Amino acid sequence: MISLIFFLCIGALLFFCLFFLARRNPQTEGSSTALVDARQALNTLQTGLLPVGLVQRVFAKEDWDYVRSETPRSIHELFMDERKGIAVLWLRQVAEQIGNLRRFHRGAARHYAKLNPRVELQLAVSFAALTGACRALQVLVYLGGPYVAPHMVGAVANAAARACRMSEESIAFLNAARMGVLAVQRSHLAAR
Amino acid sequence: MTPATRRMDVEQAARDLRNRTLSDIPRSLDRLIYLASMRDYNTGLYYHDGLASRFTQEIACEALANCHREAFAQLLGCSLRELVGQIEGYIESTHTSPRDFVAAWKKLEPYRVAVPVETDPVTAQLLFSSFKIALAILEARLPSAPTRPNA
Repeated sequence: MISLIFFLCIGALLFFCLFFLARRNPQTEGSSTALVDARQALNTLQTGLLPVGLVQRVFAKEDWDYVRSETPRSIHELFMDERKGIAVLWLRQVAEQIGNLRRFHRGAARHYAKLNPRVELQLAVSFAALTGACRALQVLVYLGGPYVAPHMVGAVANAAARACRMSEESIAFLNAARMGVLAVQRSHLAAR
Repeated sequence: MTPATRRMDVEQAARDLRNRTLSDIPRSLDRLIYLASMRDYNTGLYYHDGLASRFTQEIACEALANCHREAFAQLLGCSLRELVGQIEGYIESTHTSPRDFVAAWKKLEPYRVAVPVETDPVTAQLLFSSFKIALAILEARLPSAPTRPNA
């Protein structure tokens, strides 16, 4: 009887293990989905979040000077609230996309022999530093407003752009045609 | 049609649009609103009969989308002072009372439907936020409403 209960328990344990494995996110490291996501993260960073024009507009001091000198106090508060919100949103998005890239590289380093370990190590350090800097800036901007650390914002944007270039070169062997095939595969999977 | 030929046609159609139509619209805000109005909100496709008759519907659509993105980028590059000036100019061109215009735009936020489809959310939010501030500035500048005498 005791041995029956023991084997039933082992069976139940195995069943739960299988159940949780089956429920796990199908996006495994090194999968086509991960590659497409990494490309999308790169694209979002390079064309959406890091262009110099956008960064300058989000943190433009001239707008604050204009508001401070030519509008009533109620507008000052509105302006600061709005710009602070946008600055925090920008930092959050940069951190999120950097996180996506970091996760891809962490997984890809084990799957692709063509990746250079030294470059991957440099990227890992850059991603960690950038994530930390983004978090620190979020706190600073939240507490002190969007103009509290202009040099740090510039440094983060430049470092993120550099990391993107390194990452792009590192995964350049996944050429556009291959990415196209992967994107089609992904859309088919999503349609199912 | 090869991709290169298609690209050249799109570029030619966009040039045509810039020279014939957009050159008469000096402000990027006006161009943005004009180009957004060329878009069918149900399909996201742009329509311009004149351009489609000279090229094809597909080429015209792509050229309009490119010009729309261009106008959006130009408006986004404006400082807050410039944006306020552009809205003031636009109000003048519509012959609407500034008070009514500001009230309607604050309530309806029509600029939200004027952004190109694939705009990054942060970029779109930045423009929406700038519009919100600019409208608040314009509202603050309005002369105080005359008080109605008690009947």
